[in-house]
Amino acid sequence: MAKAVGRGIAAIEYPTGMNQNGDPSQAWIKLKMDGRVDVFAGTVDIGQGSKTVHSQIVADAIGVPMDWVTMDTSNTDSSAFCMGTFASRGTFIGGNAVRLAAEKVRSRILEIGGELLEVDAGDLEIADGEVHVKGSPDKKVGMGDIAGFATFVKGELISGQGTALKEYATLDPETGAVTVPPHSAISYAACAAEVEVDTETGDVRVLKMSQVYDVGRAINPTMVEGQIEGGAMQGLGLGLLETVYPYYPSPDHRGSGYGSYFVPSMEELPELECIIIENPSSDGPFGAKSIGEMANNAQPPAIATAIYDAVGVWVTEMPITPEKVLRALRAKEEGRPESRTDGKYIRYDEELSINAVASADSAVLFAP
Amino acid sequence: MKVVGQRLPRYDAGAHVTAGTRYVDDVRIPGTLWAKALRSPHHNAEILSIDTSKAEAMEGVFAVVTHADVHKNVHGHIEGLGVPGDEPLLAATHVRYLGQPIAAVAAVDEATALRATEAIEVTYRELEPLFDIRRAFEPNAPQAHDNQNWYPDFEGQMDRRQIRKGDVDWAFEQADHIVTGVYRPYPMEHVPMETQVTQVVPEADGRYTVYSATQAMYFSMGVVAAHLDWPLNRLKFIGGTTGSGFGGKVDTASETITVLLAVKAQRPVRWRWTREEEFLCSSTRAGWHMEVADAITKDGWILGRKMLTLHDAGAYSRFSPYGVTKHSFHHTGAYTIPNLEFNGYVVYTNRVPSTAMRGFGVTSVSFATEIHIERCARAIGMDPLEFRLKNANRLGDTSPNGVVYTDPSTVPVVKAIAEATGHELPADYRTMTAAMRSGDDLPEHLVGQLGNPEDH
Repeated sequence: MAKAVGRGIAAIEYPTGMNQNGDPSQAWIKLKMDGRVDVFAGTVDIGQGSKTVHSQIVADAIGVPMDWVTMDTSNTDSSAFCMGTFASRGTFIGGNAVRLAAEKVRSRILEIGGELLEVDAGDLEIADGEVHVKGSPDKKVGMGDIAGFATFVKGELISGQGTALKEYATLDPETGAVTVPPHSAISYAACAAEVEVDTETGDVRVLKMSQVYDVGRAINPTMVEGQIEGGAMQGLGLGLLETVYPYYPSPDHRGSGYGSYFVPSMEELPELECIIIENPSSDGPFGAKSIGEMANNAQPPAIATAIYDAVGVWVTEMPITPEKVLRALRAKEEGRPESRTDGKYIRYDEELSINAVASADSAVLFAP
Repeated sequence: MKVVGQRLPRYDAGAHVTAGTRYVDDVRIPGTLWAKALRSPHHNAEILSIDTSKAEAMEGVFAVVTHADVHKNVHGHIEGLGVPGDEPLLAATHVRYLGQPIAAVAAVDEATALRATEAIEVTYRELEPLFDIRRAFEPNAPQAHDNQNWYPDFEGQMDRRQIRKGDVDWAFEQADHIVTGVYRPYPMEHVPMETQVTQVVPEADGRYTVYSATQAMYFSMGVVAAHLDWPLNRLKFIGGTTGSGFGGKVDTASETITVLLAVKAQRPVRWRWTREEEFLCSSTRAGWHMEVADAITKDGWILGRKMLTLHDAGAYSRFSPYGVTKHSFHHTGAYTIPNLEFNGYVVYTNRVPSTAMRGFGVTSVSFATEIHIERCARAIGMDPLEFRLKNANRLGDTSPNGVVYTDPSTVPVVKAIAEATGHELPADYRTMTAAMRSGDDLPEHLVGQLGNPEDH
C-alpha cells in the first residue's frame, strides 16, 4: 500500500444577487411604544443566519441594543416582499432592505427627539436606545419616551420601509454585453487543499484545507466562518463523494437513501483554516459582500489539482471517486498519455469530448 | 455598543440542537388528511389514459387530483424572466422522467392514501429515453422533451447563450499553445434533512393557509397563485423556518398540489415526501459538460478562450436557462481574458429536472476553469499562482459582458493563500496589487478591454 500526499489551490469569484438583477427585497419597521423595534421582512433564514445578521444591521443602523430588535419573517400577510433566499442575496440585498428601512426610522426618531429636546435633529445622535445631543451625552431622551410621545401625544406610528432593488440588466443575445452591471458586488476566494491518495484503493482523503475569503465586511465573523467551514465540507462532498448517478449519464445504481448516497460526515472533516479579508464593497450593508453560495466552489478544483500533485493524474469528472482514480492510475501505468500534442495544441480528455461521443452529423460539435 | 462585526450567536442555534425549533412537519392541525402522489414508473412515455374512479370510490379517500383539476397546468417558475413554462404540474400527455407526478390523493391516513394511488389506472406507451447530453443533437436522438432536445428561447430567439468579446481568432492565431480539456461534474442531491413538506389549512374566511418549507415565501406563493389563477390575498404563506434547502426548496415542489387537494377535499392536508422520494424525485444539481480551449503565450498570458457548455436540465427547463446565463457571465473566473467565444446550451434529458443549488451555474465553471488554469500554467512551466496573478482581474479590467471591475480581489486572495501555505512568490508578484494595470502588467492585448472604474 502506497500513500501519496499532494497540494493544490484554486481561486474563484462569485456575484451577489440574481443574475441580471431585478430581484427586490423589501422590509418595514415599526416602533413599539417603549421604543422596541419590530422588523417585518420576507427573507427566509434557511439556516445561514440571516435573521441574526439582519438584527445586527438594524440595531446599528438605528442605534439600539441588539435585543431591542425583533425580526418577523414568518408569513406573507405581515412580511414585506422578498424575492427569496438564493443567489447569495440574504445578507446583501435583504440586509440593504432592512438597513434602508432602519435609516428612515432613525431619521424620524431624530426629528421627534429634536422636538422634545428643542434642538435641531442634525445635532443629535442615537446610541444604545437613547437620543442625545452630539458632544453633550447628558442632554438626552430615551427612545421609549420618543415612541410614547409619538403614539400618545402626536398620534403617530414611527415606521419606515426600505426596498433594495437593482435595475434589470438586459443583454445583447449575440454578444452577451449588458446595459448595466448584471449583479452587485463580486466576492473572491481561494482554497488550498492537501490530500492523501491511496494508490492501491484509489481512496482520497483531504488532510487540510486553508481558505481565504474576501467578504467585504464580516457582519458576524462567527457565522461567516460557519459558511466557510460548512461550504468546505459541501465542496469536499462535491469533489470526492456525492453524485446522484454514479455512472452518469446512465441512470443506473441511483442511491435512494443515506446508506447509498454519500455525504461527508465528521470522519471526512479535515483540518480547516479560515482567513477573512475585508475589502469593503461600495454597495453592501456596512461594506458586506456575499458569502453563501461561493463557499462550496473552490474546493473541488483544489482537490483535483492536489490529486494531480500527489499521483500525476487528472480526473476531470466529478466526484473523483476511488474507481476513477484507479482507472486513471492504470492508464498511466499502461503508458497511455494524458494529453496529445498536435502542433501548438495540447489536447486533454479527448475521449470525453462531444466530438468523440456524438455522431459526425450532430448539430453541435466543438472544434476549437 | 455597536454589534456589526461582533461574534454573536445565532438566535436559533440552541433550539435547533435541542429539538426546540418548530418546522412545518411539527405543525399539528386536527382533521388533517395525508397526501400521496402517483408517480411515473417510466423514464419517457406517452400517457394513453388515466382512470381515477377506483381510487375516488375508496373509503377514506377525500380527494383525487389530476391535470384536469389545474387551471393553468403548465406554469414556468420564471416566466416573468422570459423563460416560457414547459412543465406540467401533473403530467397530462407524457411523462418525461421516472418519478414525475401524475395524480395525487388526500385520504384519512398514509396507508389509505398510498393504496388509493395504487388504484389509479394509467396506461402508457413507452418511448426511448435520452440520458447523454452529448448525443442530444444527433438527428436520430430520442426525443426527451415535447419540443426539440435543447432550449430554444434565450431572449426569445436564440437556441444557445452566447458570449462574444474581442477577436478570438486573432488570439488563437497569436497563441504559442492552445490547451483543450473536458470537465464533467455529475448531478448531485441537495440532501436536506427536512424533506419536501407542506401543510395546507382551508380557513373559515375562504383563504388558504400554507405552511411551507420554501426558501422564498413570496415566490412560492406566486407559483401557487398562478397555477390556480387566484389573487395573492387568497393565500397566506407561513414559513421562514426551513430544515435546509441549498437551492432545492425554491422549486415549490409540494405546495401547489397540496393546496389543490385541500380545495377539493375542503379539509386540511399535509404532504410530506418520504426520504426515498426526496432522493429519487426531487430536483438535483445539474450535470454539466464543459469543453475549454485556451490560447496562451509562453510567457503566461491567456489571450483568448473558446468554450462549449452543455447543461443537463433533465426533463424540463425550470431555472436552467437562468443558470446557463449566469454560468456564461462567469466563464473567465477570477481572471481577465480579452477574447472570448462561448456557446452554452440547455439540454433536456429524461432524468428528474435539475434546479438551483448552492453556487448555481458557477460551481461547474469554477471546477472546469480552475483545473484548466493549472494545466495551462504547467504546459508552459510556470508557477500556477504566478500564472493566476498575472491574469488576475484588476481594477478597470472588464468581465465577459464588458462590466468594469470596481473592487476585484483576485490578487489579495491569491497572495493571502500563498502566504498561508508558505508558497514563495517572486518580488514583482509580492508587490502586486489590484490597482489598474500599467507597465509590464498592461500588455498590448489588454489595453482595448480596459474600462474606467470611475464610471461605475
